[in-house]
Amino acid sequence: MNWYEFMLRNRSEVFERTLEHIGLVGASMAISLVIGLPLGIALVRRAKLQRWVIGAANVVQTIPSLALFGFLIPVPWIGGVGASTAIVALSLYAILPILRNTCTGIAEVDPAVIESARGMGMTPRQVLWQVQLPLAAPVLLAGIRVSTAMCIGITTIAAAIGAGGLGVFIFRGLAMVNNQVILAGAIPAACLAIAADSGLGYFQRSSARR
Amino acid sequence: MNSSHTSVRRGVSLPATGSLLLCVFAFLFMLAAGGCGKRAVETIVVGSKNFTEQIVLAELFAQEIEAHSALRVERRLNLGGTFICHDALVSGKIDLYPEYTGTALTAVLNDPLQKDPAEVLHHVQEEYRARFNVEVMRPLGFNNTFAMIVRGEDADRLHLRRISDVAPYAPKWRAGFGYEFMERPDGYRGWITAYGLHFAGEPRILDLGLLYRALADKQVDLVAGNSTDGVIASLHMVVLEDDLHYFPPYEAVPLVRRATLEKHPEVRDAIGMLAGKISVDEMRQMNYAVDGEHRDPADVVREFRKAKGL
Repeated sequence: MNWYEFMLRNRSEVFERTLEHIGLVGASMAISLVIGLPLGIALVRRAKLQRWVIGAANVVQTIPSLALFGFLIPVPWIGGVGASTAIVALSLYAILPILRNTCTGIAEVDPAVIESARGMGMTPRQVLWQVQLPLAAPVLLAGIRVSTAMCIGITTIAAAIGAGGLGVFIFRGLAMVNNQVILAGAIPAACLAIAADSGLGYFQRSSARR
Repeated sequence: MNSSHTSVRRGVSLPATGSLLLCVFAFLFMLAAGGCGKRAVETIVVGSKNFTEQIVLAELFAQEIEAHSALRVERRLNLGGTFICHDALVSGKIDLYPEYTGTALTAVLNDPLQKDPAEVLHHVQEEYRARFNVEVMRPLGFNNTFAMIVRGEDADRLHLRRISDVAPYAPKWRAGFGYEFMERPDGYRGWITAYGLHFAGEPRILDLGLLYRALADKQVDLVAGNSTDGVIASLHMVVLEDDLHYFPPYEAVPLVRRATLEKHPEVRDAIGMLAGKISVDEMRQMNYAVDGEHRDPADVVREFRKAKGL
């Protein structure tokens, strides 16, 4: 049996797992955007604090996901067994590229442009929203793009904590000694990542053109 | 305009291509050098799956070979499960790894369940020789079967000793299992049918390493682990007796490539000495030393070999 025959035969489960996967990625990305973007903006002028926060995000990145799940199981509210633990862990992983690109994107806006915006009488808030953020948008979007593609990939580990997603096929296939089952999870996940990456790439390019 | 544009691009890209090629050559050279170096000293590669007992057994194989031959031993431990170990063995990436007869029978050979240990061993030996040119050596002495495990406090409070005792409480319980247990022919479906169990909702499916944590933290009430897991004792959990003899035998055996044994007969002698040497208690103790006392597997194995006069 080929992997696509297996997928056809199990298309309702592949579809269901794909939706679960998208749900997990969507929730994790939403959380990391809501935290990462404002935090990045807030840290632009606090160089010392920024180093600490990005350092911490780097450290989180190096914790193996199974270990992170292990730490989270006993934590009330956000932990336990199931989707919530997976989403917390995935958000923590997804935050770094967003945070870093927000900081560097805004920091790299030409100081002369900011100076002339101030000269025109703009308030700091106006400079942020009307000058710095639009000019930093391509870099910001690049961070979101990297983060999304990475998140789609690592969401397969959510199956280790009973949260479902396409990783279920991968874990099941590994346990069953069956390549077809592994591919039924790995190939849709790769397709999702490519689709998300090219979609966000289009946005990134169109934001750069402006 | 156009021509100056291309010439600028060329000027940038040519040195870039050159240095990239240089990098590739340097990398290939390093690979070749590494490969030659390895071949000069004869090396045996010992593999293992990704749990403590496998790592301990692989370490034991490695130390035995090192002690009884002049071969260099490379440890490639923590491979992700039966499938990856099997593939690595058959393709020659590793020379030997510890396996269990029941796992070889059902998960690798996809053959029907059998309950008689001697028959299973014999069948697996024949099939591995014919199909994979792999030798299934004599069992190490213990049986690592699936173990149904509950919290010690529950076992005391509800007087649980056998799996059958669970049936009245199961409808209020959540069960947690690994992917392997859910999919194997000797796993979940047959098990709940044999014991007539009905749990509250679908079982939680977790990675093996997270199951005990989830049980200890009362996220689930019953998990399927392995009978030799060291943490069972350290976390005050209780293994329920398989009173209906549902689970087939899982005797630990060394699997070795026949090509390796022909080339290095001393490997056969070294590994052969381990036959029947490890009881289930000894295995659980070694696992506990690593899992519970966080000791180095190599030290634990060294102590065991000393105590056993190996």
